[in-house]
Amino acid sequence: MSNFFQNFIDPAFWYSVLRVSTPLLFAVMAALVSSISGSINIGIEGMMLMAAFWGNVVGAFVKNPWIGLVAGVASAMAMSLLLAFSHLKLRVNLVIAGVALNLFGSGFTVFMLFALTGEKGTSASLGSQPIPRLDIPLLRDIPFLGKVLNNHNALTYLALISIFLVDYLIRKTPLGMRMRAVGENPDAATSVGVSVLRVKYLSLLLSGVFAGFAGAFLSMGYVSWFARDMTSGRGFIALAAQALGGNSAILGALGALLFGIAEATGFTLQSLRIPSEITNMIPFILTLVVLIIYARTRVRSHSRIQKI
Amino acid sequence: MKKFLVILLATLFVLSFARPLKVALLLNGTLGDKSFFDSAGRGIQMAIKELGIEAKIIEAGYQQERWRPYLEDLSDQDYDIIIVGTWQMQEILEEIAPMYPEKKYFIFDTSVDYSKPGLDNVYSILYKQNEGSFLVGALAALITTSGMPKTNPEPIIGFLGGMDIPVINDFLVGYIEGAKYVNPNIKVLISYVGSFNDPAKGKELSLAMYRQGADIIFNVAGNTGVGLLEAAKEADRWAIGVDSDQALIYEDIDIEIAKRIVTSMMKNVDISIFRGLKLHLEGKLKYGQAEALGIAEGGVGVADNKYYRELVPEQIRAKIKEIEEKILKGEIKVSTAYGMSTDELNKLRSSVRP
Repeated sequence: MSNFFQNFIDPAFWYSVLRVSTPLLFAVMAALVSSISGSINIGIEGMMLMAAFWGNVVGAFVKNPWIGLVAGVASAMAMSLLLAFSHLKLRVNLVIAGVALNLFGSGFTVFMLFALTGEKGTSASLGSQPIPRLDIPLLRDIPFLGKVLNNHNALTYLALISIFLVDYLIRKTPLGMRMRAVGENPDAATSVGVSVLRVKYLSLLLSGVFAGFAGAFLSMGYVSWFARDMTSGRGFIALAAQALGGNSAILGALGALLFGIAEATGFTLQSLRIPSEITNMIPFILTLVVLIIYARTRVRSHSRIQKI
Repeated sequence: MKKFLVILLATLFVLSFARPLKVALLLNGTLGDKSFFDSAGRGIQMAIKELGIEAKIIEAGYQQERWRPYLEDLSDQDYDIIIVGTWQMQEILEEIAPMYPEKKYFIFDTSVDYSKPGLDNVYSILYKQNEGSFLVGALAALITTSGMPKTNPEPIIGFLGGMDIPVINDFLVGYIEGAKYVNPNIKVLISYVGSFNDPAKGKELSLAMYRQGADIIFNVAGNTGVGLLEAAKEADRWAIGVDSDQALIYEDIDIEIAKRIVTSMMKNVDISIFRGLKLHLEGKLKYGQAEALGIAEGGVGVADNKYYRELVPEQIRAKIKEIEEKILKGEIKVSTAYGMSTDELNKLRSSVRP
C-alpha cells in the first residue's frame, strides 16, 4: 500500500494524468461549446473517431503530421456540419442524429481502413507521423513541475490553452454571450435580433473542431496508429465531465482532470492486484458519485431560494 | 460401349488410389501477413516437398461474405483434405463439414463444437499457450536480473492481458510458473485492459508497469497490445510478443519497436499442419476431436530470430533450451488455467505480488 501513496508524489504519475486527460479536455470543450447554446452533442465520440482516422491516414500519406492534423479536424467539422444540418435544417432529433453519427463513425473508419490498407484492425502498416513533443527550456529546469509539465505532446499544451480560450470566449466575447443567450432562452435571443440558427450552427461547428483535436491526439500523440473504435467511450466520459462543470470551462476541465486522475490511479492500482474489474470501474463510479453530490447541492440551493 | 465404361471406371478407381493426397488450404485472408497465414502456407510447402502431397493455397481475402462460398466450392471439388484456420471460420465449417462427410477438414487455432452432429470428419488443432508462456516467463525472469541494458536489478516483470478470461489466464499461469521456476522471488505486475481494442489504455497501463520497475512485459492483448509495444519504445524497455513473430512484423513498420521485442511466444501453425498431414498419411490421425499441441509436438515455442540471438546473452538462451528439454521429457508439468478455480488462480497471482 505504501507503494500506492508513493505513486502520488511521483512526477511521472502526474505527467501521465495530463496525458490521459488531454483527449478528455478537448472533448469537454467540444461538449461545452455545443451545450451552452442548447444543443447537446452526443456525436463527439464519432467525430473523434473520424478525426483520429483521417488525421493519422492523411498524415502518413503526405508525411506531415500537421497536414494530417488539419485533415483530422476538418473531417470532424464535416461530421458536426452534418449533425447541425440534420438537426437544425431537417429537424431530426439531436440525440438520434448524434447516435447515428457515432455508429457511422465506427463503421466508416473501419471500412475506409480496409479499403486503404486491406486490414481491419490498425493502420500500423501505413507508417506513422506523430505530432512532436515540446521540450520547453525554462519549464524543464523547474523541479517536480518541470517533470510534470515539460515534454508533452504539442496538443496537450493546446488542450490546456484551449480551456482558457473557451472560458474567455463564453464569458467575455459577444459571440459567447449570444451562445449563452440562445441556450438559456432562444425566444428572448430572437427578440433582440440574434439569429438563433446561425449561433447554433457556429457552436456545433466549434464543437467539431475540439472533437477533432481530441481524436487527432489519440492517433497522433497518444499512440501513433489508428485502431478501430479507439476512442473507447472517451466522448461519453467527456459529456459527463462537462455536466459536472455546468457552463464553466474551468470546472469542466477540472472534471476532465478528475477523470484523468481516476484512470491513472486505476492503472497503478491494477498492477498491485486490485481486480481489474474494479479499477476499470473507478472513473465511472466517480461519475455517479460526483453527479449525486452535484445534484444534491443543486437541490439545496433551489430550496433555499424558495424559502426566501 | 458398356465395357468401355466399366474399364474406364475401373482405371479411374485404381488411379484414385494411386494418386497423391490432394490438399487445399483456404485462408480467410491473404498471404503476406507475416503471421498465421504465412505460417500455414509454409506448412503446406513443407508437406509438398517432404510428403509428396499435391496442394493448393486459396486466398479468400478479408471479405467475410466470400469465405463460405469458397469453402463450399472447394468441398465440391476433388480435394481430400481442406484446411482452414482461426475462430472466424469455426461456424462456417460447422455448417459445411456435415454436408460433405466423405471429405476431411482441419481447423487450426480453434476447435469446432463437437457436440454438434456430423463433425466426425474435422480435426481441430489447438495450441498449449501455457507451455509456451512458461518459456517466456522463465526468459523474462532471467532477463530482468541479468544486467542486460535497459534493466534494473529488481526482479519485477510485467504481464498485459486483454481481459480477465480463461484463455488469457492460461498464458498468465504458464508465465508465472515459468518465472517462479527460475527465480522463486520473482514479482509479476499483472494488468488487464478490459478491452482488445484500446491501444491508448494498453500503452498507459504498460507505462505504469514500466514505471513500477518492470523491465520486460509480455503482450497478450490483441490490438490493445500495440500500445504495449509503443510503450516499450517510449520507456526504452523490453517487450515479449505473442502468437506470431512480432519483431519481424514490426521490422518494416518501425525498427525502433522491433529492436525492443526480445522474442515472441509463437504458435507454430506450419509445424502443426505438417504434423497433421503426416499423421493422416500414416493413418494415425484421429478425426472428430480436438488436439492441443504443446512444446513436445512443436505447436508452440520461442521465436528464434536475429533479435533474440543478438539481444539475449548466450547463457540465458542455453538455459531456455534446457527448460524446453525438461518440458519435453515431462520433467516439468505446466498447469493450465482451464478448469482452475478462481481461488487457485488468485493464490497464484498473489504469490508473485510485489
